[in-house]
Amino acid sequence: MIRVSGLTKVYGSGDAAVHALRGVDLEIPEGDFVAIMGPSGSGKSTFLSILGCLERPSSGEYYLDGRDVNSLEDDELADLRNKKLGFVFQSFNLLPRHNVLRNVEMPLIYAGVPGDERRKRAQELLEQVGLGHRLTHKPAELSGGEQQRVAIARALANNPLVIFADEPTGNLDTKASLEIMEIFQQMHRTGRTIVMVTHEPDIAAYARRVIHFRDGKIVREEAKDELR
Amino acid sequence: MNFADLIQIVWENLRAHRMRAVLTTIGIAIGIAGVIAVVAVGQGGQAVIISEIEKMGSSLYFDISPDYMRGETADSNTFSIEDPTIIKELSPAVDKMAPITLGPMVDVRLPNSDQKTIMASLYGTNPDLIHIMNLSLEKGRFITDLDVTSHSRVVVIDAGLAEDLFPKDDPLGKKIFVQDTPLTVVGVLEKIPSSMMDTFNVRTLYSPITQVQDMLNTRVINQLCGTAVSEEALPQAISDSIKILESRHSSVSKHYVGTTLEEQLEMVGKVTSILTTVIGAVAGIALLVGGVGVMNIMLVAVTERTREIGLLKALGARRRDIMQQFLGEAVALCLLGGFFGMVVGIGGAFAIALAAHWPPLISVWTVLLAMGFSVVIGIFFGLYPASRAASLSPAEALRHL
Repeated sequence: MIRVSGLTKVYGSGDAAVHALRGVDLEIPEGDFVAIMGPSGSGKSTFLSILGCLERPSSGEYYLDGRDVNSLEDDELADLRNKKLGFVFQSFNLLPRHNVLRNVEMPLIYAGVPGDERRKRAQELLEQVGLGHRLTHKPAELSGGEQQRVAIARALANNPLVIFADEPTGNLDTKASLEIMEIFQQMHRTGRTIVMVTHEPDIAAYARRVIHFRDGKIVREEAKDELR
Repeated sequence: MNFADLIQIVWENLRAHRMRAVLTTIGIAIGIAGVIAVVAVGQGGQAVIISEIEKMGSSLYFDISPDYMRGETADSNTFSIEDPTIIKELSPAVDKMAPITLGPMVDVRLPNSDQKTIMASLYGTNPDLIHIMNLSLEKGRFITDLDVTSHSRVVVIDAGLAEDLFPKDDPLGKKIFVQDTPLTVVGVLEKIPSSMMDTFNVRTLYSPITQVQDMLNTRVINQLCGTAVSEEALPQAISDSIKILESRHSSVSKHYVGTTLEEQLEMVGKVTSILTTVIGAVAGIALLVGGVGVMNIMLVAVTERTREIGLLKALGARRRDIMQQFLGEAVALCLLGGFFGMVVGIGGAFAIALAAHWPPLISVWTVLLAMGFSVVIGIFFGLYPASRAASLSPAEALRHL
């Protein structure tokens, strides 16, 4: 479902140019759970944000769900992110001035889902992550683990094909991390494709495949059976 | 994003910074308040003056005065009491004509009374004036030719004065003291609804011109006023009158000017439009300053919320969605300011009106225009910050701390 080849990304130009990706080839079939590891500056976050259609590669091909992503306009990319992709970030990135329900509703608003249906869907999702009783709270009134669960509910709002997670447990304690990874595993079991960047081997161990980045390239790949 | 969602999201965002929102709107509020108050008072005033002038007579009305623009004033040689009669005889274009000797501020009181005196304007004139000024009698009679020739000590009073002096009794036949001269009331004018004279408590008396000249010890006639036989004859009536006056008063070589009602209305319009322009410019500057304030606060918001904008884009917000959201906030701020300004402006207009005995004229259009203008300011000054927010790259915005 995801296929990239010869992917490069260069920031800046001339002497100041930074080569974040130096030719990446990867295929991720539907339902896969991939963890991306690597030291900081290895290009793993850049790779994730290109896969998430948040920025464009300098060169290389990217096919998502059969579509040539490079050929899409900005608004088409926005539509793609809205309907096919979900994001979970290290720092949760909830909207601080809106309540929990509204945060989960945002992707549905952009998708044009009418009010009643939207609220119902957001409420269901929040109940699924165990936050059905916190609908009207502001993000700041929740614990880190709860905030990340809101973010997951939001990522699932439009029933996306792929979830991209950038260090989803990076700001959480062990207990909350385990709860979050439990939810990820459930998503994986229901067939959702997940691509997750992490630097914690414990967390990467939940994935089916672990891909190691160094200096903008994939240097090693492990399948789950090897890990165990 | 539909409109209801947009409004809700804008509201939730602004509510988080209440103090900031209110402070930002003050500039707009001052501008709008100023515009509304000034327009309301100005339009009220203009309407009153125009209705007053229109009451003075029909479209056939004209008056002849010494050329004030050249610094000339009326003296005892400018006009004579016989002039109107002679002009009417000589010019077929002139229908009615009356001389006016004005006692601008005279004391009026009842005989043997401790009641305080009333200030009034005294018109010394002839019988024609009742037709020229479209006056109508409630009771009694107006001045007659006989009154004029015989210097009769009679007076016609307006309805306001009748109420002031004789709240219970019939004024007809009663004596009143005008500048300590006893005059007999022979007529009472009908009450003119919502007259400016009434609003300002200006009272008016009419008395034979000969008698008034005796009383005020003057031979000055301030102006002649009259009506033409038809609207087409109006220019003819004025030029005939001036020609006759110039030949009759050639020894003093005065310049006369004739004014029609239309010209007087035009003059009021001109003065009002100059005032409106000046005040509009001042209010415009206030609105400009207010608009810049809104723009500034929106640019701050875009910088503060860069990461959030990145997130919204990750969630699928298109360029247009981000534009709408930030423009919506700018417009909402301006509308809020416009609303405060409207409340203050209308309050101010009523306060001024109350103090000046002046009916404020607040039209729906004034209000709609002010609110519409707020929206335009919001869009104008919100456009740049909004487009800056909308053109951020999602990945870069998300990296912003």
